[in-house]
Amino acid sequence: MLFFRSEERVREWCGAHGYPMRPLVTMYQLWTLATTWYSTRLQEDSRRPQPDEMRSIFAGLGLEGDFWDPQSDSFG
Amino acid sequence: MSLDTRTKLAIYRHFAETGQRPSLQVVAESVGTDASKIREAYVRLRAHRVLVLEPDGISIRMAPPFSGVPTQHVVFINETRYFANCAWDSFGILAALHRAGRVQSRCEQSGEPLSLEIGLEGPPPCSWLFHCLVPAAKWWDDIVFT
Repeated sequence: MLFFRSEERVREWCGAHGYPMRPLVTMYQLWTLATTWYSTRLQEDSRRPQPDEMRSIFAGLGLEGDFWDPQSDSFG
Repeated sequence: MSLDTRTKLAIYRHFAETGQRPSLQVVAESVGTDASKIREAYVRLRAHRVLVLEPDGISIRMAPPFSGVPTQHVVFINETRYFANCAWDSFGILAALHRAGRVQSRCEQSGEPLSLEIGLEGPPPCSWLFHCLVPAAKWWDDIVFT
């Protein structure tokens, strides 16, 4: 889970390492993910999102498909 | 409150206050129990994906979003420095602490430095991108690589 300056830099990095290029996430989307995941982490009753909650969080940000499905066994 | 919850909170509060991982003994003293019981709690917390431990079974590698070891993803809140496990977690530290701060990292391809001042409402408009190589269903197969 890494930062990149641009889509072109992601493409170069994936090509150099032989990795598939995955969906790109903006800084706004990343902030929303971070706050959704972690804003209660220091509280007594905090817990990680469950698979159905994860799916809903991702979908709310337009992050859909097998790649973002925590229970998928095919990744496209 | 259960031992596991008290252990989790002691770990997270130590990270929040110091930016560093607590030792087993520090957690035991904070919780008020034996180190052996804390070690057992660590195993259960690992099973629930709350902790990632080093091979010694007692050193904390990750208490997401905090990293127990230095990484390229650094968060500054006033004078305290925190290490994050990944780009996502660098934002996550600020979210978990409900504080404004600065995220420093780099472009993984070019090495260009990233320095973002992030307020309570999030980052300013920014064209940098986040890329995750591992599909969500596989994140915890090897969370350190993820």
